[in-house]
Amino acid sequence: MDDGDEVTLVVPARPEFLGLVRVTVAGLASRLGFTFDQIEDLRLAIDELCFGLTGTKGKDGTLEVRFVLDEEGLAVHGEGHFAAGGTSGLSELSQIILGALVDEHSLTAAAFGPRFSFVKKREGPTTRQNPPGEGQ
Amino acid sequence: MSFDQGSRQELKERFEAYASSHDPALRAQLVSAYIGLAEYLARRFANRGEPLDDLVQVASLALVKAFDRFEPQRGVEFSTYATHTIVGELKRHFRDKGWAIKAPRRMQELYLRLGKLVGTMVQVLGRSPTVAELAAEAKVSEEEVLEALEAGQAYRSASLDAPAGSEEGEALAARLGDDDDSLDVAENRATLSPLLAQLPRRERLILHMRFFEGLTQTEIASQFGISQMHVSRLLARSLAQLRSAAEPNS
Repeated sequence: MDDGDEVTLVVPARPEFLGLVRVTVAGLASRLGFTFDQIEDLRLAIDELCFGLTGTKGKDGTLEVRFVLDEEGLAVHGEGHFAAGGTSGLSELSQIILGALVDEHSLTAAAFGPRFSFVKKREGPTTRQNPPGEGQ
Repeated sequence: MSFDQGSRQELKERFEAYASSHDPALRAQLVSAYIGLAEYLARRFANRGEPLDDLVQVASLALVKAFDRFEPQRGVEFSTYATHTIVGELKRHFRDKGWAIKAPRRMQELYLRLGKLVGTMVQVLGRSPTVAELAAEAKVSEEEVLEALEAGQAYRSASLDAPAGSEEGEALAARLGDDDDSLDVAENRATLSPLLAQLPRRERLILHMRFFEGLTQTEIASQFGISQMHVSRLLARSLAQLRSAAEPNS
C-alpha cells in the first residue's frame, strides 16, 4: 500500500495534539469510503499507538504521522522524535486491542524514538468518488 | 436548596454538632439532606464531555469535603459554601481530566443528532453507514460530521467520554446480569486481570465483546440497545483509563 496518495502530519508529542491526528485519520478514511464503525476503530487505534509512544503526559519532541491511501485501504506510519529518545513497547492488552482494530500493526525502535505502523483495509460499500462536502 | 425555618434551625444544630463531633452518622444525615444540591450542580456541567455519573460522583465527594471544612460559626449558609466547593471541584475535575476544550454547542447538538441517525441508518442499510451517507442524511457537510465526531469525543489523556448519556448507560447497566461467564474468561487472563479489574463491569463487558470476541461497535450497540457512538465513547474512555493506570507513575 505504498503507491497511493500520502499525507504527513507533524505534531508536538503531547496528548492535546492527538485530536488532530484523529481528525486527520477520520477524514482520510472517510475519503476512502470507510464505514463509521471502521473510522471509530481507526481513531481508537491511533490513540492506542500514539499514547503508546508519548505516554499520557506527552514527551518533549514531535510525532510524525504519515498516512498512505490507496484502493485497498489506509496505512499509517508514525514516528516519535523525542529529545530523550527511548523506546516503547506494546502491552499484551494493547496488542489484543490493536489486533481487533486494524489488519496489521507493528511497533519498533528507531534512532530518535519508537516507530509504529498499521494497516486498515477498506470494507465499505463503495470507494468515494466525490471530494468531502460535495456528496450532497 | 431551600428549607423552611424549622428545618434550617435543625440543620444548623446538626452542623454545629458535626463541626465539634465529626460523627459519621451525623454527616450521613447531612449528606442526605444536601445530595440534591450536588446532583443539581453536576447536571449543570453535563454535556461537556464527561459522563453525568462521574460528575455526580465528583460533586458528591466535594459535598462531603464541604461538610468537613464548613465552619457554621462564620455565619455563611452551608448551601452557599457547598456550592462554591462543589463547583470548584467540578471545574478542577475538567481541568485535571484535560477537558478544558469545550466543544461548541452546535457541534455537541450535531453529535447527538448523528448518534441517533447512525442507529437508524444501521437498521436501514444493514451495516454501519459511511461518513458521506451520514452527512447526506443529516444535511451537513462531511467536515461537519468529522468535526462533530471529534468534538463529541474530545477525549484526551486521562479520561474520555462525550455528552453524558446517562439514560443509555442506565439502560445498558440494567441489561447486564450479575453473572457473566464470558467476562470471567477475559478476567482470568492473569496478566490482564489487574488492569481490567479497575474498570466498571459494564465497561469490562463491552471491552471484552469488542476486543476479545471481535464484535463490531454496531453489533455491541445492537445487543444492548444503545447507540454505536455510545459504545465508542465507553470503549475510548475505558482504554484511556487502562492507559493511565498502566503508566509507571500512576
